[in-house]
Amino acid sequence: MKVRHWPITLKIPALVAGLMIVVSAVVTQQVISRLVDTQQRNLTALSDAYLAGISTSLVPHVLRGDIWEVYEGLERAQGLYPMLRPIDTIVVGADGLVIASSHPKTSPSFQPPPDDFVAELKGTDFARNEARNLAFAQQDLMYQGRRVGAIMASIDVSHLRQERDGVLMTLLLTNAALTLLLACSGYMIVRRMVHPMRILGDRLRAANEGPPQPIHASEMPRKGGEAYELFESYNGLVRAERQRQSLLLHVAAEERLASLGRLASGMAHEINNPLGGLFNALDTLRNFGDREGVRARSVALIEQGLKGIKDVVAAALHNYRPERDARPFGAQDLDDLKMLVQPEARRKGLSLRWSSELEGSYQVQKTPVRQAVLNLLLNACAATPAGGQVELVAKRVDDQVVICISDKGPGLPPAAMRLLTSEDAAPVGSSGLGLWMTRRSVSEAKGNISVTLRAEGGTTIRLSFPEVAEEEERERAVA
Amino acid sequence: MHRLLTRRGFVAGAVAAAFSTKALAQTRPDVLRFGLTPVFLSDDLALLDELKRYLEQSCGRPVQLVTRRTYQEIVALLVSGQLEAAWICGYPFVQFRSKLSLVAVPVWRGKSLYQSYLIVAKDRSVATVAELKGDVHAFSDPDSNSGYLVTSALLAGLASSPARYFSHTFFTYAHRNVVRAVASGLAQSGSVDGYVLEVLKQVEPTLVEQVRIVRRSEWLGFPPIACAAGLEQDERVLALGQALYRMHASGAGQRLLSALQLDGFVEQPPSLYDPISLMVAAVSRSA
Repeated sequence: MKVRHWPITLKIPALVAGLMIVVSAVVTQQVISRLVDTQQRNLTALSDAYLAGISTSLVPHVLRGDIWEVYEGLERAQGLYPMLRPIDTIVVGADGLVIASSHPKTSPSFQPPPDDFVAELKGTDFARNEARNLAFAQQDLMYQGRRVGAIMASIDVSHLRQERDGVLMTLLLTNAALTLLLACSGYMIVRRMVHPMRILGDRLRAANEGPPQPIHASEMPRKGGEAYELFESYNGLVRAERQRQSLLLHVAAEERLASLGRLASGMAHEINNPLGGLFNALDTLRNFGDREGVRARSVALIEQGLKGIKDVVAAALHNYRPERDARPFGAQDLDDLKMLVQPEARRKGLSLRWSSELEGSYQVQKTPVRQAVLNLLLNACAATPAGGQVELVAKRVDDQVVICISDKGPGLPPAAMRLLTSEDAAPVGSSGLGLWMTRRSVSEAKGNISVTLRAEGGTTIRLSFPEVAEEEERERAVA
Repeated sequence: MHRLLTRRGFVAGAVAAAFSTKALAQTRPDVLRFGLTPVFLSDDLALLDELKRYLEQSCGRPVQLVTRRTYQEIVALLVSGQLEAAWICGYPFVQFRSKLSLVAVPVWRGKSLYQSYLIVAKDRSVATVAELKGDVHAFSDPDSNSGYLVTSALLAGLASSPARYFSHTFFTYAHRNVVRAVASGLAQSGSVDGYVLEVLKQVEPTLVEQVRIVRRSEWLGFPPIACAAGLEQDERVLALGQALYRMHASGAGQRLLSALQLDGFVEQPPSLYDPISLMVAAVSRSA
């Protein structure tokens, strides 16, 4: 994940840790630098004191060339300077040859001092070799203002390196612990600070998927803070949205009832038409029922009339009592819709052109599809002037059920088109409620809507519904 | 480096010693002043205390133990009458034979004899004295028989001398220090008292383990307890003699002898030191 995509709860601790690391590096460098200076001063002072201390007692023996006493003096001095750790101490005479050393095997008497002393000191009084963890120091032995010899020492300074490494390690560990502590503290503090925003963000994200949910009282911060006011505002928004949704659904139901009224009047007409024939058939039966031929014809007429009425009633029931209908969506549903729309079309003097290639049943949600197609057919009837034509074409294209409804109206206005095709569009007042409900129904069935304004006039609305697995369909039904 | 003990040098040393020993002024006539050369016991203060207690108890009089850095200082004090007796070396005894008398001679491993050793560092592969030529050599004391004279006489027999045979020589003024000098590498070889080295084997084995004996000398008279000539019958000297002869007979004396790893003290004739006299003569001739 790129840094800019990190959550703020990580960004701020990371920033704190980064700053701490920079500060630690600077502080560590300063401390180590000061420590090195101090060690160097102490080492120089200690080595000077060491050499000066021995010199005083050695000068008489150096004057006499007393090898043993010089050696004894060096031996005695070995344990007296535990802070210094001299490795080898050498006393040379005025001739530059070793009189005695603390390690005669490596610095034998009557020989020049070892090469490394000469090479390291190069005539100076102090030299340090970091790589070898050694320091070299020397002082002249003076008597009555004359140089009678010199004393030089090699000193083990590995403990200074160890001390430095120890301080460095302590600094690193302390700074690492502090950095971790501050980063963790930063994380906790920022997490606490952004917790309300996170709750709000979660709610807003959830609202994108479904109806917005209010923030529960248990999650509300203390009164008086900015977060509390923000949460209150959000909950107010959710309440308003819920009221609006409720109102819309209520208005939609009203609208549906109104369309039902229109359908009912058409249906009454459809039922009324065969009723005259039925009563005639009944009169015929009553008067000439004893004639077998007349009786059979009259009964057949009555049966045909009642069957027509039954189909109309069944189509209406399928549409408005869907829970009683367990059949999957299929060609029969389109037939039902045709039957429901026909009275309205006749009433307005419209011709209904019906072309369906669908056969059998399909794995699409029946109820929302029926609702959407019926709404669009009724809208098409309303939009098309008398004498016009409303057309429905249904077919199966690439595992999708495609239904196109065309009218000869003036063309769908842009606002109405947005209501049909855009998830974000909402009706204003009661205007466009039918289209809004249609879009919800198509969305419920996982379908798509496209609208085409034809050049010769009129609108074609294309609905496509993907077929879903039977199991999924069942799960959805259960849910 | 070494200084031959000459009569003139001795007198100068005796005068210097006399001036530097105001503590030895005779405050009580019955005090026994007993000198000790830095053979090896003079730096063992506990042993000195025990010796002092034993001698005071046995002699029935106060005893003053006197130690000095060099044999020369002790011999000078003895000859000049500032000490009633002293544990000296066979070499100064024969040098000042006419001025000194024997009081007692220690017995070590059943005899009043000891040897001088030539030693080198243990890891050095030499087997003969000839291979020591050109060494830096450590002597104990210019007035020590085992720590100087024996090696000088050996080299005189080779028509040489320490100064010519060795590249450099120096004195450590204690036999133990000769061992230390050779062990540390300060000297490549050294002349040391055989008795002292054998005792050190028990007392400081880690030190002695670092050296190896290249040559043992012939057996020579053990360093004696001597008094100034004429004091043989002094009651303090007589008491000292008796205390030494009877040392093995008491518990305190036996503890002392055990610490010194000696069997006891006996009377011996001065002729015990004739071989040392012969070596002195040989060295004098060579010089």
